[in-house]
Amino acid sequence: MSLVLNDVTVSRGVGPVISNVTLEVKPGQITTLVGPNGAGKTSLIESIAGVIIPSSGSVVMNDVDITKFSKRKRSRAGLAIVEQGRMIFPSLTVRENLQLTARTKSDFDEAMALFPELEKRMNNNTVLLSGGEQQMVVLARAFASKPKYLLLDEMSLGLAPVVFMRLLPVIEGIAKSGVGVLLVEQFAHLALGIAEDAMVVTSGRVSYHGSPKKLTSDAELMRKSYMGE
Amino acid sequence: MLLNTFAGLTPGVFYGIIGILLTLMAQLTRTVNFSQMGVGMFGGYVGMTMIQKLKIDMWLAALVGLVIAAVLSGIIGWIIATWLPNAQIATRSAVTVAALLLIVATSSVLFGANHSNFKPLLQNNVAEFNVGDVKLFVSQNFVVLLVLALVILIGSSLLLKRTMFGVRLRAISDRQAAAELIGVNVKVLNVGVWVVSGALISITISFMPASISNDYISFSLLVIAGSAAALVGAFKNPWLALLGGVLIGVLQGFVSALPALAAYKEWVTFILILVFLLWNQRKEVWDVAR
Ligand SMILES: Nc1ncnc2c1ncn2[C@@H]1O[C@H](COP(=O)(O)OP(=O)(O)OP(=O)(O)O)[C@@H](O)[C@H]1O
Ligand SMILES: [Mg+2]
Repeated sequence: MSLVLNDVTVSRGVGPVISNVTLEVKPGQITTLVGPNGAGKTSLIESIAGVIIPSSGSVVMNDVDITKFSKRKRSRAGLAIVEQGRMIFPSLTVRENLQLTARTKSDFDEAMALFPELEKRMNNNTVLLSGGEQQMVVLARAFASKPKYLLLDEMSLGLAPVVFMRLLPVIEGIAKSGVGVLLVEQFAHLALGIAEDAMVVTSGRVSYHGSPKKLTSDAELMRKSYMGE
Repeated sequence: MLLNTFAGLTPGVFYGIIGILLTLMAQLTRTVNFSQMGVGMFGGYVGMTMIQKLKIDMWLAALVGLVIAAVLSGIIGWIIATWLPNAQIATRSAVTVAALLLIVATSSVLFGANHSNFKPLLQNNVAEFNVGDVKLFVSQNFVVLLVLALVILIGSSLLLKRTMFGVRLRAISDRQAAAELIGVNVKVLNVGVWVVSGALISITISFMPASISNDYISFSLLVIAGSAAALVGAFKNPWLALLGGVLIGVLQGFVSALPALAAYKEWVTFILILVFLLWNQRKEVWDVAR
């Protein structure tokens, strides 16, 4: 039981932006994926979420081949994604954002409990919230759908490190509850610090796969992986 | 003059409803639906033909018209949702212009010779009163249209704010792609909005004031007056769209009472559109300057 990308190639415009990538996200674990700008991290996440369909290879979730599933069907099957760039619904209140995905009252309450500080903003339009609070809403909304797997694309973007550090333990908690998390990040050290498994992607290829500790403790290895050597 | 101006209220509310529906459609489906009146006209003309040929009851014909308009509208919505889900509003709206042309062309084949005037379902007055020595009438049509306008305005606002169905529609309106990713059935909801809009315009048309010219082309082009009304609310505020519609109706009534200007009655809409476009332009220039 896991979320698996088998030998996936994704083409976009000019040519392949992901070439023959294989990866596995296990339930209850955090897999952190890092890499330089334009490496193809978002394209990878989008191919799992169904925004783009791989030109070859397959996406398998808990032994079900979901490569050809629609976005909606994937979401129903237990996949949740936090897209790059704070995808709140600005004219909806915090409450309504969560209601969109929560199937039951208890799902809603559990998601709300992730960030008690949102309680007093419940009836505010999300457009009025700070960047950090908006990101909390997006994460809580994803969690409210009770996903089996959660894909997070650069949640830290545009946030102060302290604000991002507020999110990290919450992400850890979500993983502990049994959700498989794929964490895509630029803040490599912080994100690798909470991961069980690490990958570096460069120019659409996996240049490192292994222990996150080994990567963070070896600056030369990190540099080489980022250079794709 | 007072008589004509007052009589302009009924067409005014009629234009207002078209404007309200255009506004809601623009908000919820990112499409300026130029085919709206064409769709309603088509349903109405089929109903009318059935009255003449099959001698069916007027109300039954209205129901047939409603179903046809709803289905036709749904088909246009489905085509846009299927093939242009992420297209710009201009591209999506262009499809509705094409649909309008197709509907008008088909109508000329089907109803070509039939220019007999379309009759509203209700033709009596509910009240009459005197102002000075002018006798004013309040028609059943006016009352029904006004109630319909308020029902659509208040109903849609309650639906959007108070129901999960409405929350989903607003989420789609905010960010369609993101809504899809969290599992909202964007296509079904979108097509649903089109179907309801088709049904509502058909109901509205059933109470269309007899004073409005309604051969199938003028009929279909009433969407222009509706757009001018919607423009008053910047395609965002449906209440202002109603106000805009009333403004057009009343101005047209007023102009038609002046012998020197009566021939230019139809220009009112055009001038209003121009004024509002220039007004908006001025604001934008001001924003940029700031
Ligand atoms: N919609 C698109 N059409 C064509 N090419 C695209 C599109 N989106 C991204 N690309 C290209 O695909 C490559 C990978 O982009 P991607 O966004 O997946 O990288 P990334 O690792 O997420 O980068 P970042 O860290 O900046 O978010 C880039 O070369 C980019 O130019
Ligand atoms: Mg990216």
